[in-house]
Amino acid sequence: CKKTLVEAPKSTLTPAFFTTTQGFQAGLTAAYAGFRTIWGPDTYFEMTVPGTDEFIAGNDGNNGLVKYNSNFNTADGIVAGIWKNCYTYINTCNGLIDNAPSGLDAATKASLIGEAKFLRANYYFILVQFWGDVTLNKSFQATPTTSATRAPMADVYTFIIQDLKDAIAALPTGPLTNGVQPGRATKAAAEHMLAKVYLTRAGSSAKQADDYKNAYTNAIDLITNVAPGAGLKLQQDFGKVFAEGNETNSEILWTVQHTTTLAYNGSATQNNSGPDNLLCHLFVPKYEVQPGMQRSTLYGRPYIRVVPTHWLTDTVFKERVNDQRYNKTFQTMWLCNNAASIPNWPNPLPAGAPAGAQPGAPKYTVGDTAIWMPGYAMTSSQIAGYRYQVIPPGKYSIALSPAMIKYFDTKRPDQNSPSSRPIIIYRLAETYLIAAEALYMDGRATDAVSYINAVRERAAYPSGNVVAMDITADKLSLDFILDERSRELCGELVRWLDLVRTGKLLERVKLHNTDGKSNIKPFHVLRPIPQTQIDATITGTPYPQNPGW
Amino acid sequence: QISATLVKISFGKESLQSSINKLEKQTGIKFSYNPEDLKGYSVKPNKFKEEKLSSILNYLFAKTQLTFKEISDGIVIYDKTATLKTGLLTDKSSGPDIKTESADITVTGIVSDINGPLPGVSVVIDGGTKGVITNTNGSYSLKAAPDAVLIFSSIGYKTQKININNQTVINVTMVSDLRSLSDVIVVGYGVQKKSDITGAIVSVNEQALRDIPASNIGQALQGQAAGVDIQKSGGNSHPGATPSILIRGNRSINASNAPLIVVDGLPFNGSLNDINPDDIVSLEVLKDASSTAIYGSRGANGVLLVSTRRGKKGGTNITYSGYAGFNKPLGNYNIMNGPQFEDLKKWGLINGNPGKYSGLDDPAFLTDGSFAPQEVASIKSGRSTDWQKLIYKTGFVTDHQLGVSGGTDLTQYAISGGYYNETGIYFGQSFVRYSIKLSIDQQLGKNVKIGLSSLNTLSYTNGENANPLGQALRASPLSTPYDDATGQLVGFTAGSANQVWNPLANFVPGAAVETRKRFGTFTTAYAEVNLAPGLKYRFNGGAEIRPDIYGNYYASATTNNLGGASTANNQSTYSYNYTLENILTYDRTIAQKHHINFTGLYSLQESQSQSNSFSYNNILSDGIQYFNPQYGANLSGSGSYSKWDIISYMARVNYGFANKYLLTLTMRSDGSSRLAPGNKYHVFPSAAAAWNVTQEPMFKDSHVLSNLKLRVSYGTVGNTAINPYQTLGALTSVNYNFGSTNLTGAYPTNVPNPNLTWEYTSTLNAGADFGFLDGRITGAVEAYHQYTRSLLLPLSLPPTSGIPNSILTNVGQTQNKGIEISLASVNIQGNGRNSFSWTTSANITFNRGKVTKLASGVTQDITNGLFVGQPINAIFDYKKVGIWQNTAADTAQAKSLGLTTTGTGSVIGTIRVEDVNKDGKISASDRIVLGSDQPKYTGGFTNRIAYKGFDFTVVGVYRVGGLITSKLFQSGSFINTFQGNYNNINEDYWTPTNHQNFYPKPNSASTNTPYSSLLSYFDGTFLKIRSATLGYYMPESITKRIKARSLRIYATAQNPFILFSPYRNTFHGLDPETAGSLNVDTPPTKSFTFGINMTL
Repeated sequence: CKKTLVEAPKSTLTPAFFTTTQGFQAGLTAAYAGFRTIWGPDTYFEMTVPGTDEFIAGNDGNNGLVKYNSNFNTADGIVAGIWKNCYTYINTCNGLIDNAPSGLDAATKASLIGEAKFLRANYYFILVQFWGDVTLNKSFQATPTTSATRAPMADVYTFIIQDLKDAIAALPTGPLTNGVQPGRATKAAAEHMLAKVYLTRAGSSAKQADDYKNAYTNAIDLITNVAPGAGLKLQQDFGKVFAEGNETNSEILWTVQHTTTLAYNGSATQNNSGPDNLLCHLFVPKYEVQPGMQRSTLYGRPYIRVVPTHWLTDTVFKERVNDQRYNKTFQTMWLCNNAASIPNWPNPLPAGAPAGAQPGAPKYTVGDTAIWMPGYAMTSSQIAGYRYQVIPPGKYSIALSPAMIKYFDTKRPDQNSPSSRPIIIYRLAETYLIAAEALYMDGRATDAVSYINAVRERAAYPSGNVVAMDITADKLSLDFILDERSRELCGELVRWLDLVRTGKLLERVKLHNTDGKSNIKPFHVLRPIPQTQIDATITGTPYPQNPGW
Repeated sequence: QISATLVKISFGKESLQSSINKLEKQTGIKFSYNPEDLKGYSVKPNKFKEEKLSSILNYLFAKTQLTFKEISDGIVIYDKTATLKTGLLTDKSSGPDIKTESADITVTGIVSDINGPLPGVSVVIDGGTKGVITNTNGSYSLKAAPDAVLIFSSIGYKTQKININNQTVINVTMVSDLRSLSDVIVVGYGVQKKSDITGAIVSVNEQALRDIPASNIGQALQGQAAGVDIQKSGGNSHPGATPSILIRGNRSINASNAPLIVVDGLPFNGSLNDINPDDIVSLEVLKDASSTAIYGSRGANGVLLVSTRRGKKGGTNITYSGYAGFNKPLGNYNIMNGPQFEDLKKWGLINGNPGKYSGLDDPAFLTDGSFAPQEVASIKSGRSTDWQKLIYKTGFVTDHQLGVSGGTDLTQYAISGGYYNETGIYFGQSFVRYSIKLSIDQQLGKNVKIGLSSLNTLSYTNGENANPLGQALRASPLSTPYDDATGQLVGFTAGSANQVWNPLANFVPGAAVETRKRFGTFTTAYAEVNLAPGLKYRFNGGAEIRPDIYGNYYASATTNNLGGASTANNQSTYSYNYTLENILTYDRTIAQKHHINFTGLYSLQESQSQSNSFSYNNILSDGIQYFNPQYGANLSGSGSYSKWDIISYMARVNYGFANKYLLTLTMRSDGSSRLAPGNKYHVFPSAAAAWNVTQEPMFKDSHVLSNLKLRVSYGTVGNTAINPYQTLGALTSVNYNFGSTNLTGAYPTNVPNPNLTWEYTSTLNAGADFGFLDGRITGAVEAYHQYTRSLLLPLSLPPTSGIPNSILTNVGQTQNKGIEISLASVNIQGNGRNSFSWTTSANITFNRGKVTKLASGVTQDITNGLFVGQPINAIFDYKKVGIWQNTAADTAQAKSLGLTTTGTGSVIGTIRVEDVNKDGKISASDRIVLGSDQPKYTGGFTNRIAYKGFDFTVVGVYRVGGLITSKLFQSGSFINTFQGNYNNINEDYWTPTNHQNFYPKPNSASTNTPYSSLLSYFDGTFLKIRSATLGYYMPESITKRIKARSLRIYATAQNPFILFSPYRNTFHGLDPETAGSLNVDTPPTKSFTFGINMTL
């Protein structure tokens, strides 16, 4: 009888499994998988891309968080989701680090723990940048708790930095090092991140005197020592960095993985939920309702969450002769793919109609240009000379503007499917920009120039004048560095954090962001503590909210 | 000849009552008597070997005033000194004769009940002692004065007095009197006379269960029993949907508040749909701790005792019942038509693009892509599509049940077969059930009886998740399902930004296939051995095996896949339960007045379930459907296994003193596998006492107060209704890849909780059963107070805990207080044939539940929706005070609260909430408890009138008060976003010139209108006519011709009316009835059925 009442689960795993060698591997896999719900869905994207000088809300965009209006409050689900996700997987990492099984050989164990620490550092880095003082769980939470306190930002940074130092000491050199699987943590990624952490702490109230120095020391070590040894270098062609099929290129330090084996790609049903990679949809404008167009896998699914600001397309990317990045970042031309909606020439023909226009005949055929955004102003009589739709910058709208193409995935199984492309989190070009920013902020503008020029020179490939891309130290400023980061990194889920780090969020939103300029207030540099956290902290001291919320 | 049956029996020194009980149990022969008459007589010990029953009875009655009479299916015992008061017969042969006067006429007739001719009914002349008994054909003949009054009486039926009035033929239909005190009702592990019951038990008879022809007993039981709250689960009304049943409110917050269902004595683990309601002959609901305690942990939420039909001694009985009818939607969801939607969309764009449009008439709307080309064409031609009209059809329902039953002295049997088929109100939804039931009872020798009962069902549920409404309600009414040029079905509907797929696509045969095939057997067997006088051992064994196979296939062009890859999913579940019980009972009457009944039990229950699920996509051919994953891609699977056991010991003592004072003591010990070692076992005691007040001499002759019993009980039951393995913690799996290396990971999402223990509910129940005016008004009142402690609660932790899933803990306390009143009244006493009859029964339940304590002394747990002093399911939200108007005052006020008043995020025209704490800003601390779904009171009523063979029955249920949540009205439903991307609920929304103060403005920039949850709370009051049935008993002239004993035809309208519902009347909702919240779901239906009941 006693035996009858003993439980033996067969289809579920219990935490005891976590302390076995297999369990450790499975836990580590899960700790990696947690990043799929950060880089990929539209949540972390909304927190970093729009609401900045680069992007505003598109036609189907967010009407709260990214506009800093009163719809954005402590109940915001986007903010709450990222917060919860980080703490869930921090606990996974804590469990790995605390309970590493003894059955592993020392080197393997150290390396695996190094991976876990790298991942934990990333989760904490997200938390500390968005929320400031946050709860610091250093060890596995084995018992349920309904209380929580916030640790000073300084403690969180110290913890992150120690994790990264441990990781650097234990991890294999780089993603291209023999035996390292794509997506795994490496020393190169950890060093890049450590540089960025120092740089970010330097811009915070927890700053230490040698933060900038530590930032560029690590960045420069990566660029000059670690990367060459690990086969890492900038791609010759800026356009190749994001090219489909080139996801494991020499510039990439760390990615969140996805796969064409759909059962392992993201959500079980591939329905653009949970851990799916939606970045392919989010920048796509409503081209499909335009004459001659319909939705296609090639041009993507128009989620139209964001459109670029005029400042981004017209000012930052103004120079397009030597700097080739504009045309490699934005799609400005759509070819007709729908015979049914091709417009006919009216009768009589409008003034200035192009030669060959026949009243009543179709203006163009499938495969011809249907939409073109020249990127410069044109008069209406100039426009009248085109058979197809011409949209100069003055006509950009929240429904139809140049489309940022870095995440486009033309090989999805159907036009609504999420992407199966890995997402780049850290890449070497940013290491150069981190080095430049840290050097400049530490008063070493002259030394900074070479790092920023390295990125700029590459941008000239293939037809630009490399020398013309170079700048001199007197041109260098924090604003220039931020502008350069836009040209290089726009849309790469870093901008909001860049602006907060450099103290430029309010200034630049007020200048360039038509959504948020009249709403943004100083307290917006921190995200609100999610109401779910405050409501659920029912014992101990109430969980403090950030000021102003 | 029953009285010639040879009987072997021994009597101890016991009461006559107990001797008769013994005879009844041992022989299976039914004795009919008034227990009053047996009182005070005792029996001397004696043994009989193979003696005729008549001799034994003569021995027993030798020194009494009692005698007996054999009728077709039993023995009637009566007082030969005859009394009309008891309504029992005196016979010419046994009573003192009175001289027949020459003026007397001979009166003949047939006495019957709804099932046909009724033998054994006593027919006596009022004021005299002369009388006869109806023969096996129900006929009688006697001589009486032309102006005399005949009294027809029989145990179990209401006594009727009929004036002869010179008639020579008087046919009488007896009306059953199911509240008769001597009726036995089923209690846990046995049966008891109603007068001996000490606990709170409601008994629902067969007739009440038949009033609502339905696929499962839950639907039929709605509104029939006080304290039993039955509602559509989540408002769900697709074929095969089962309702949620709640007995005496929410106690536990954890998954299950569902009562235990016990079928023919053994716990039943299947779904309500696995029982054919036609097989059920009675249903008892155990409510208080004393009644439920014997089921220990499984009885914590109340118990439904279901009895199915078994064979009786006597001739063969063949019954057929059947009905057929149709279903229609109770109404259409109130959404916009083309022109209304056009305006909404335009207003949305105007508000979402400040300054871009000049007004509703701005021509740019028609050229800038705001509307799809087809929508523009519709606007120009005035075309509007009513998508709901296109998807609804008339559903069909039919049910047939054929039964054969009968038996001899030694063997009784019943066999029945049933078929139920219901199709939904849209294509692809149906529920079909085949059922076969068999029961056999066999006497082996003198002391052993064995029996077997087997309930078997095979059901097919199609389209249990089929719900094209989500798409049909969202689709633009300016779009059409067919391409304007080709006439073909379109995929995405125009204007939906490729979000809404043509709902008609799912109706293409083979495009959307979803079937659940479920086979199940619930087979129980018993063996009963008489060990010694009064001492009996019984073994009960029951096994339930249910394979369940589910499959779905959705082609690419369906609302499920929106043109993406076709998908298929298979699930197979095998569940298996068994129960073994050893029961010892001892029944004895000491010194004639002390009746003791002891029941001891040892039982083992085990339940196992195993299931596998796999899914895949890109199926090579539509014809393959879900049958072969080899022709699909991206196969993924999952599985589950669970097993639980309960080991129990139970003892119960019933003690009765002179039928006046009754006491029940119960003790049960349960060991549950689901708890951690150290917490597995617990003992649950209970006690109950009752006083039959009307047994006291001073009331014995009272006609006004014909019955009064006072009861009180107290006891504790426990609940382990938690899933197995919850104490062990859990990891959740997640897939990931490193390049081409695909891995499965696992991470902790739940922590071990070895301290998890039972949840206890203690109930104090006080009740009174009463009857007035010779039983014309009967009823019961119950008052109860339940305290639940160590509440099992799924607790959501702060995200910083690192535990994302809610964990189960013992936290807090709740209480439920309530009053339940049931009344039955014979308003007009008649037989329904030649005299008019009208009966009414009604019940009302008041329940007040609240959380009284939470862990660590906190008074609110917002995350888990728990507030001390408030009911479980409290609604905690902002307080809506209207709409921010475009006035200077409102703008200034909004600004002062920190709200945005310009741009797309402007609050002007959106829902205005109150700054409850007056801190000068709108923040989370302005949320308050708005109410809860707990009604003020609920209940039901049945009115039955009959005349000239016609009967008309109306069953109603009502619910007053309580806030319901209709998620239709929240933006998350996608049909009330006010964004203009999808069609919207047809409301008079705010515009700069329409300053209405309830519905907000449309805004294309806002996916959800802010605070949309505040649009979804409604007063849940309603009165629903559940059914109205008109029936007719075919006259004998017709039944004779087809050789039937009885034949009734009827027509029923189900859910014809919903009255007094603000949700329906003011807000144009469809049906306010829901356990949980209302969603975009199959609309509720009304149905009309026609049926017959026939006995051969």
